[in-house]
Amino acid sequence: MKKILVSLLAALLLLCTGCSQPKEQTLQIFAMDTVMDFYAVGENAEETLNAAAQEINRLEALLSRTRTGSEVSAINGGGSVTVSHETASLLRSALQYAQTTSGAFDVTIAPLVDAWGIHSDMPRVLSANEIRTLLPLVGSDHVQLDGDTVTLDAGCRIDLGGIAKGYASDCVAELYRQNGVTGGWASLGGNVYAHGTKADGSFWNVSIRDPKNTAGSAAMVQLSNQFAVTSGGYQRYFTAEDGTVYQHIIDPATGVPAQSDLLSVTIIGQNGTMADAYSTALYVMGLESAQKFWHAHEEEFDMVLVTEDTVYYTAGLAEHITTEEGGPYRVQVIT
Amino acid sequence: MRNKTQQLALGAMLTALALGLSTMENMFPVTAVIPLPGVKLGLANIVTVFALYRLGSKQALSILIARCLLGSLFAGNFSALLYSLLGGIVAMLVMIGLKHLQRLSIFGVSIGGAAGHNIGQIAAACITLGNTAVLGYLPILLGVSLITGTITGLVSSLMFRAMQNIRLGHA
Amino acid sequence: MSKSSPKLRPNFFDGIVALLVALLAIGTSVVFYGGLGSKDGDVTAVVLHYGKEVERIDLSGLDGDRQIEIDGKYHLTISLTAFGAQVTHSDCPTQDCVRTGHVSRVGQSIICLPEQVVVKLEGTKQSGDPDLILG
Repeated sequence: MKKILVSLLAALLLLCTGCSQPKEQTLQIFAMDTVMDFYAVGENAEETLNAAAQEINRLEALLSRTRTGSEVSAINGGGSVTVSHETASLLRSALQYAQTTSGAFDVTIAPLVDAWGIHSDMPRVLSANEIRTLLPLVGSDHVQLDGDTVTLDAGCRIDLGGIAKGYASDCVAELYRQNGVTGGWASLGGNVYAHGTKADGSFWNVSIRDPKNTAGSAAMVQLSNQFAVTSGGYQRYFTAEDGTVYQHIIDPATGVPAQSDLLSVTIIGQNGTMADAYSTALYVMGLESAQKFWHAHEEEFDMVLVTEDTVYYTAGLAEHITTEEGGPYRVQVIT
Repeated sequence: MRNKTQQLALGAMLTALALGLSTMENMFPVTAVIPLPGVKLGLANIVTVFALYRLGSKQALSILIARCLLGSLFAGNFSALLYSLLGGIVAMLVMIGLKHLQRLSIFGVSIGGAAGHNIGQIAAACITLGNTAVLGYLPILLGVSLITGTITGLVSSLMFRAMQNIRLGHA
Repeated sequence: MSKSSPKLRPNFFDGIVALLVALLAIGTSVVFYGGLGSKDGDVTAVVLHYGKEVERIDLSGLDGDRQIEIDGKYHLTISLTAFGAQVTHSDCPTQDCVRTGHVSRVGQSIICLPEQVVVKLEGTKQSGDPDLILG
């Protein structure tokens, strides 16, 4: 009887140790014109997230286009400006992505974004004439980068908003790794980094928002130590007086909000900055060119494309994606 | 004392019986209530209870293992083996322990065994699904084990009553 | 190896075993569901305004709907029911919060950036529920 009592007690103790959770921490901040959520499990979870918030604020002060005193504002002020090595490196990456995507992603789009008033309270439709005037200001050849010194052609402006959050997610990932966070994630407004695994060893379930029913899910991907970035017209748009709906991503080739046959593009890969740039670029490209682009770069990333009636995903995701059977979308694998 | 051939035949018969019972269980849609493939009521425990009392724990264990191996061969997958093996072994350990107490009737032993069976099955589910969320089904399954344990106990007691005058290899 | 004839009639001690199993069932349900009264899937709506929690409401306890008004630079009306939450009106310029529509699953949230309002649904996650939502 004693033996059994002892073993029962031991079993109870085991159950109790099973209940005691390792340290976990959540944090929500408003930064970079979006809301960001962080979750980390590990001994230094709290310190890591505080450091992450500081890092985000530091990057915003460096890269924001609307903040006076930021390095990007200084560059847009004209003349030759020597910036921090970090900003120069990020700009160099941006120019590289512009080249890789044949200009579908372009940081020099800023003058058109401003004219359309995409990020303002008063967006408006530009006339063909206005677009014709502004379009020549767009193009990577207007940016000269010599070491850490940047020179823009007259009238040109840059906006690193298209990769700043992606870059920030790379920095946060580095913090998670350095501080021994065992599992967690960071969600920076459309940019997600999934770190490690859950306590039970399973991957993080990341739901990709359904563009047509934003309370629903188009697909669910299981991620570990990966970045995922979604771009879609549904995220921000305005309706003109004539009833036409204009979404927020401008096609650098036309100067007009992209008329994409894609509702959203999700890029999944090992590099947050790249994923951010590519998600915008592939949205602009549309279904056919996006697939072609993936075929040329399939080593670098996986993707999920959502159109009016179909969810497409690349073969590499097959083991880590769940789509709703009998859901609103047909499902097709890109190989 | 004991005839080896007789013992072997008896073991084989009980294994076959256990297999039959676990196949029969598939007709009860437990998965309709608990959506975990592989979870079973544990009616095959009747054989374990019987073997435990009549043949001793060693032989009962070998029958159990033979049943699980053959059963998973029929089902054709490894996770089915894990479910039945973990469920069966935990059930058996609990029953051996309870039987040693001497005070319990076959009903108490069976109920304990059924609870052990379901705990083992949930453990198997945790392992195969890599997910502790399934632990949430444990309370329901433990409740169910009160019923299945009573059924197993009832069937076993009827069996022992019917076989009181039959000698099975030894007295 | 101990072989013995079993006792065939249920007795008092069997009752103790049954009771122990029942207690274990209740005990585990308390551990996993945090209380006997709460079933899984209970959802709590938490409303944050400039990072400060202003409301925390157990949706399962709601009878009919409950309106919450947020006043600041802009005015928001949040409607909570037993089934979820929705921003029914906002005079903010982006209208993202209103467009988000009705949310009902644990982990979902509605966000109004201009007024820094977050409505999020908290509760026990089911195994297939998302950990986070992208896009």
